[in-house]
Amino acid sequence: MKLKVELIKYPLFLLLIVLAAFGCKEKEYAIPDPVSQLSNDCIKRSLGPNLVGFLPIEFTYAMALPKVQGKLVSAQVEASIAGAAGTFLENRSFFTNAGGQDIPVTVATPSVNEANKTRVTFNVDTNAATLRYFYTIPEEARGKSVSFTFSATSSDGKTVTFNMGPYTISKMDIKRNLAVSNNNAAYISIENMVVYNATDAAANPGKVDLVYLYRTTPTSFTHALVSPAAEAQYLPGVVLPAGVNRSSKILKANIIEANLVRSFGTYTSQTASGVYIDDKDFMDINLSASPNYATGLRAEQGTWVETSDGKYRAYIFLNSINTNGSAVISILRYTLQ
Amino acid sequence: MATYLKIAFTLLFFTIFISCKKGDLPVDEDGLLITGRTECAVTNFELVGSDFITVRSKVPTIDTTAQIVNVEVLFGTDLKNVYPQFSLSTDCKLEPKITGKMDLSDLANPKTFTVISGNRQVRKPYKLVIKYQ
Repeated sequence: MKLKVELIKYPLFLLLIVLAAFGCKEKEYAIPDPVSQLSNDCIKRSLGPNLVGFLPIEFTYAMALPKVQGKLVSAQVEASIAGAAGTFLENRSFFTNAGGQDIPVTVATPSVNEANKTRVTFNVDTNAATLRYFYTIPEEARGKSVSFTFSATSSDGKTVTFNMGPYTISKMDIKRNLAVSNNNAAYISIENMVVYNATDAAANPGKVDLVYLYRTTPTSFTHALVSPAAEAQYLPGVVLPAGVNRSSKILKANIIEANLVRSFGTYTSQTASGVYIDDKDFMDINLSASPNYATGLRAEQGTWVETSDGKYRAYIFLNSINTNGSAVISILRYTLQ
Repeated sequence: MATYLKIAFTLLFFTIFISCKKGDLPVDEDGLLITGRTECAVTNFELVGSDFITVRSKVPTIDTTAQIVNVEVLFGTDLKNVYPQFSLSTDCKLEPKITGKMDLSDLANPKTFTVISGNRQVRKPYKLVIKYQ
């Protein structure tokens, strides 16, 4: 009899183990409670690394309270590091119409910056608003982290806050759309992020890291970035200004970096792909075995560069090329030392 | 008796989950299937640069008798940072394995890659000869 009980009990025990392992039930979705008091929410809209002096960090801050409880009085953002000139909180609330367009409605006085606070005061009777905040990254934030505290107050005396961050501010610099041309504006300085002609290069010989040139022979030469100290076969017909003799490491790459390819105000398919180079990429890349020249460059191709003094690494992107021997380049630079 | 039954049930329980055993097919030290094929050749070759774009200036010539792959690369190619890509006969494998970018800049001493047949009995070393355009 005892054996019979064991025979029944044991499979049941095993079944119980199996059920315990696989029987976890998903939690059913519950409709959230309707807003019963002053509430807020926030999202970060901007993508990619946070570059000083480039695009602002953009947020959308939403706040609302039931109509019976009153109206919105003010909204404020406090940054841990005061934003540079151009930092503002929108005084217009946006809604998206049926056509997908963002439509603004003015709801407050223009924002006022006081130290690290940016504030708007509502001047219409509204109990819901969505305001955008644009934080222009100041130089003093470079390499640091910055956090934001969004807050809203209502006429019933309530205050709500929403914390965002911390966000790391990149050490990179960006310079876009520099025109280079064969035998003219051909001397590129990573340190100064400029392109010199021969006269200016002669005046700044220690700053020239690369020479842009275009050759039709051999046929694969075409557009090239070559260190002044490269072998003569990579600088055919080039007479370097006196003292221009640096040797940078160069490695061809095929990264269509979103910030470098971007046209202001428009988004191409490449920017939509969201490929960004960040500080870590510059820290990790090893260019020790790279040559000091890159020939046969194409449009929307780039090169990693390390300057001869080891002070900078950069990514030089060719936005466009022209068979008359010119190109448009953009530079993303990271300071190593 | 009850103990024996418990053990038997436990074994049965685990057997249900684990008993789907693969056929006893031989695999090599890389976990690759050893087949009966004796073909042993390089069928195609590609060489791409650090930007993953080909650096060949023309189609490579593959001499399966002399066991040489001849490749001509574009002027200015950085041969210290290239990725060779071999296509092999069915079930073959290559030694040494190509795990990332390679330095093929020593043109005077071409690198040798050995193709090993599917049955792992035939080994053919191929010399990779590179020259600039």
